[in-house]
Amino acid sequence: MKINELCKALGADVQTPGDGEREVTQVTAGDLLSFVMGTAPEGAAWVTIQTHLNVAAVAVLKDLPLILIAAGRKATPELKLRCEEEKICIATVGETIYGICGKLAELGLGE
Amino acid sequence: MAEPVSLEYKIEGNDYMVAGAASNNIKNTLKMLGIESDVCRRAAVVTYEAEMNLVIHAGGGILKALISEDKIELCTVDEGPGIPDIGKAMTEGYTTASDHAREMGFGAGMGLPNIKRNSDVFEIESTPGVGTQLKSTILFQK
Repeated sequence: MKINELCKALGADVQTPGDGEREVTQVTAGDLLSFVMGTAPEGAAWVTIQTHLNVAAVAVLKDLPLILIAAGRKATPELKLRCEEEKICIATVGETIYGICGKLAELGLGE
Repeated sequence: MAEPVSLEYKIEGNDYMVAGAASNNIKNTLKMLGIESDVCRRAAVVTYEAEMNLVIHAGGGILKALISEDKIELCTVDEGPGIPDIGKAMTEGYTTASDHAREMGFGAGMGLPNIKRNSDVFEIESTPGVGTQLKSTILFQK
């Protein structure tokens, strides 16, 4: 599914658009950065409640093109700026991580 | 590659704002050199975790990368507090990160295990009160 279609389906508030045309088929979820670093598949969407700048470092190094921030939290200005530079899409979703992952599963995305 | 490519970065302790920049630079250099993507991925994990260890635990240090014909050697040297029990530090889930670092999502206790898992050769030496030296080698496919 394309990133922009996915954001629309989730009713997400897109803070930086990134590459909206890029396809995403896998998802990772978690707030421990080393856990995500060690386990996330490249190219996956990442669901987290972390909003600070270091999130971008992990996303860049693991090539994660979409960060979905759960529970209505917003990216800090530093994170937003870095994601704009790196063409990573950041979007805020009102639901919890669980809720978002449930919807992503319904949309056909896997682990 | 005629000559090995050598990169060296001074990492500041507790500077979370630029953390990850050196790792990103090394990954981009590897990509630019046309190194296979699996090696780039593994090197990214190793350098990021090693860099974060310098930031979180060691009060800073040096991160070096030496890229040659058949391998990349990544090493860090610091003059931090050292690791009293390396066996414990290598256990997944064990961490001594501060509350502040944990709130930011660091301190999963996966840093050193992630480095080892992504290395072909992994060496670590540490002396409490003196510092820690870590070396990770990733071999290129033949």
